[in-house]
Amino acid sequence: MAGFRNALPLIIFLAIGFAAPLLAVIGYSFMPERSFGLLHPPTLENYAAIFNGNSYISFGWSLLLAVLTVAFLALICYPIAYGLARVFGPWAPVITLLFTIPLFVSENVRLYGWLLFFIKNGVLLGTLKSVFGLELESWLFTRPMILLGMVYVYVPFMLFPMTLGVSMVPNETREAALDLGATRWQVFREVELPLSMPGIVIGFLLTFVLAVGAIAEAKILGGQTVIPITHDIEIAFTYAQNWPLGAALAVLLMLVVGILVLFVLRRFDLDAVLGRR
Amino acid sequence: MLNKKLTRRNFMERSTAMAAAFAAGTGFSLGSAQAARDKELNILCWEGYNSAQVLDPFRQAHGATVKAESLTNDPTMINRLRAGETKVWDLINVNNPWARKVMLPEGLIKPIDRATFEPYFERMLPAFKWPYKWAMDESGNELIGMIQRFGPYSFVVNTDKVSRATAEDQGWNLWNDPANAGKYGILESDDWNVFDLCCIAGFDPFKVHTDDEVAKFTDAANRVFKGAKVVGDIATMNQALISGEIDFHLTGGTYSASPARADGNKNIRGITPKSGPMEGGKGGIAWIEVTSVVNNPELSPLATEFLQYVQDPKVSHTVAFAEGTFNPVTQMGDKACFDLFTAEELDAIQWDSLEEEMARSAEYDIVPDYDKLLDIMTSAKKAASAG
Repeated sequence: MAGFRNALPLIIFLAIGFAAPLLAVIGYSFMPERSFGLLHPPTLENYAAIFNGNSYISFGWSLLLAVLTVAFLALICYPIAYGLARVFGPWAPVITLLFTIPLFVSENVRLYGWLLFFIKNGVLLGTLKSVFGLELESWLFTRPMILLGMVYVYVPFMLFPMTLGVSMVPNETREAALDLGATRWQVFREVELPLSMPGIVIGFLLTFVLAVGAIAEAKILGGQTVIPITHDIEIAFTYAQNWPLGAALAVLLMLVVGILVLFVLRRFDLDAVLGRR
Repeated sequence: MLNKKLTRRNFMERSTAMAAAFAAGTGFSLGSAQAARDKELNILCWEGYNSAQVLDPFRQAHGATVKAESLTNDPTMINRLRAGETKVWDLINVNNPWARKVMLPEGLIKPIDRATFEPYFERMLPAFKWPYKWAMDESGNELIGMIQRFGPYSFVVNTDKVSRATAEDQGWNLWNDPANAGKYGILESDDWNVFDLCCIAGFDPFKVHTDDEVAKFTDAANRVFKGAKVVGDIATMNQALISGEIDFHLTGGTYSASPARADGNKNIRGITPKSGPMEGGKGGIAWIEVTSVVNNPELSPLATEFLQYVQDPKVSHTVAFAEGTFNPVTQMGDKACFDLFTAEELDAIQWDSLEEEMARSAEYDIVPDYDKLLDIMTSAKKAASAG
């Protein structure tokens, strides 16, 4: 009972700050289209409109871009994480800092930096033109640019859990495997990778959930050639003034992401992942 | 420069303090019938009126706390009044048709004193003389707001790539030429894009549309978004035009091109087509802002004071060149105001062609089936990202 009393401030805080807005969003998703109150008779028309419309394209893009971001980051970050945990030694903190510092600058500002870098006659193409006389087509406002932006923005969210995962593998297991005649590939496949899996899975989950909600990359670097689901939601809440539709899209997004995350977590025991057996 | 910076900082500090006070105030003052509001003023507006250059002198003169919130689309502002914020705001600044056709009939705003404000119209540019349609109610008896900023708003070209003459002659057909796919951008201004797509499809936006027209609109929306190189905000459009990523962009005019022009890029120019599908064969669309007094049960007496304050020649010039975008003002009909504009400033707002462009433009109006057309356009945007 005392425990409950002590937890009360937190419970109230969560109820007001977390549960209430969520419930409001869920409530709005059942209101008639383009209405602004929660007191209308509930309806499923917003969900019907979504299934009859082409929002699946936006869902598809968000999920595809998030999966690709995770895949690229896995390939990019594992070697760096390995280096940070095992190879770089005294330089590791410095390198960690280099990966952390960009987080202090707003994401939008960093993306606009890339825009100026890649824009026609900008830093890259302008330099190539004036120094080498090369005139290349601009890459800006294309889909690969969106992916580049997302991979760039989410590096730290994959790298740090992964580094933790790799450093959790005791050196003795590696040595034992080598002593028993395993090849380097076998050590990686059968010892290092499975034992560092907890960190990798957390990195995957964190990056995936964040990347599904990405919006700025497609807007700034992609020039809206792709409309991710979060942008679709934004349009519903602003220009369309259709809060119920936006709310229904948000609920569906939460469901899709929630189901995917639960599916992954069921396959990987969370307690084991966090090292509490 | 330092002085300007300090003012901005003061402004931020004050806004934060006021926002907090305001948040607390609205909670507590609901019960009190005599909330003293003679030292506070709340303005819901397009950006510019919320700038420190405009507000600070008024604050100092009246010792008042003035809160101004800027939004960049009319329906959102009006929906906030509908949602009960008439208790909060004293002034609302939106584009021309909303006051006369929506807010007054819905009781969201109230008329202002004719005798006080009629003389100001005498000093305005010839096209805005008393009785000016959009400042009056439907009966023509009541004055329902004051006018200031305005401008033609159709599309913008880089004249190094497409000459002004070609753009004016071709007009909306620039977007019907398949050869132009990939050469243009679209400003993220969805209400205006709906108007423009109607023009591209060949009919007047400001009426109820037939099924055949809706089909044409759908086709135009799909085609135009498919061919767009980039969709984005004003800064992105100007940057893409200047760098050469795009040659022209949909939805734009003095309001969006003036920051680039003021920065020396005279090849970026707002264009009003010579002819188009609007009434009388007009080719472009123009907006005129109307600032009205909100039907607030506890209206601040400063509301009408502020409306008079911004009529002053000097303040009018400040409003025209406030932060963000630069626009002509109706008060330029007054020599005292006009003389404050430098040659550079006049060039930034395309003063040389302003009169003819306004004459060729239909005035912004309400699209009766806007919701339907907007949904089609949103769907076209998504469909374009699939291919």
